[in-house]
Amino acid sequence: MRWATRAGVHIDRAACAWLIRRFLDPAAEFVFVADPADVPPDATPFDMRGVALGHVGSDCTFETILRRYELTDPVLWRIAEAVHEADLDDGRFDAPEAAGLDVLLRGLSMTGTDEQTLAVAGPLFDGLYEYHRRRLLLGREPA
Amino acid sequence: MAATGEWVLMSYRLPREPSGPRTTLWRRLRRLGVAQLADGLVALPADARTRESLEWLADDVLAAGGTAGLWVARPAGAAQERELAAGMAAARAAEYRGLAEECSTAVAAEPAERSRALRRLRTEFRAIGRRDFFPPPEREDAVRALRALGEAAATEQVTR
Repeated sequence: MRWATRAGVHIDRAACAWLIRRFLDPAAEFVFVADPADVPPDATPFDMRGVALGHVGSDCTFETILRRYELTDPVLWRIAEAVHEADLDDGRFDAPEAAGLDVLLRGLSMTGTDEQTLAVAGPLFDGLYEYHRRRLLLGREPA
Repeated sequence: MAATGEWVLMSYRLPREPSGPRTTLWRRLRRLGVAQLADGLVALPADARTRESLEWLADDVLAAGGTAGLWVARPAGAAQERELAAGMAAARAAEYRGLAEECSTAVAAEPAERSRALRRLRTEFRAIGRRDFFPPPEREDAVRALRALGEAAATEQVTR
C-alpha cells in the first residue's frame, strides 16, 4: 500500500512511518508531498491537515494511528508518550527521552533526505521498542 | 529599507460558547508564544515548525465549529516588524525573570525540594526557549540562575 505525508519529516511522521511498516503494512511505500492536494489518489495520507490520521484533540498522529487501528500493545503506547512529548511538548507525559529523540530527528532532517531519515529512524525505534518491552517485562530499567 | 522576514499568521473565529475550546486554544497559543496582532489574529516568525503548529491549531478551530485561515506575510515596514519582535521579546523576558527568581528561591530550599524545583525549572526553561524567537538579555540571567541552582543541588548530593 502507499502512504503519503508532508515532506520534511520530523519525529511524529518518522515514528508513524516506522509504526506503519512494522505493525500495519510491511510493504508500505511512502510518498512525501508539499501540499495536501498532491496526495496520490491511491495513497493513505497521514500527519497532514484535514485527514483522518492527523492530530485529533490532544493526540498527535502516532496516537491517532494507534487508536484508529486498535493497536493496544502497551509498549507502543509507551513509545507514543515519547513521540507525543517530542512533538507537542505539553507536559502530559513523563518521557525524558522525548527531548533527545526530537533533537536527533531534527538533526537527521538537516543532513539527509526524508527517505534517509526514515531509514535511520527505523532501527532507532526498533531499539526504543525493545528497551521499553524489556522495561515493562522487568518492571524496572533494563541493563 | 531593511528587508522584513516572513511571518505565518492565523486568523480565527471561535463561537463564544462552549468556552472549553476557547480556553484550550488560548492555552495552546500561549505555549507557542504567538504575537496577538488583533482579536482573532496571531503571528509567529515563519518556519517549518511554527507553520505546522498553527496548521494543527487551525484544524482544532475548525473542529470546534469555528473558522480559521493561515497566511504567510511580511510586515510592510521594518519598524512594524521591530515592534512585533520587541513585544515578543518583552513577553519572554518577563518569563525568564520569573524563572530566575524561582531559581534564587529554590537555592535556599530543602535539598529534596531543591532537586524537584531544579527539574521543574529546567523543563520550564526549555519550554520558554522553544517560544523564544528574539532572545532578550534576561535569557542569560535565567541560564546563570539555573546553573547556580544545578550546582547547589549537585554539591548537596556529593556532601550528604
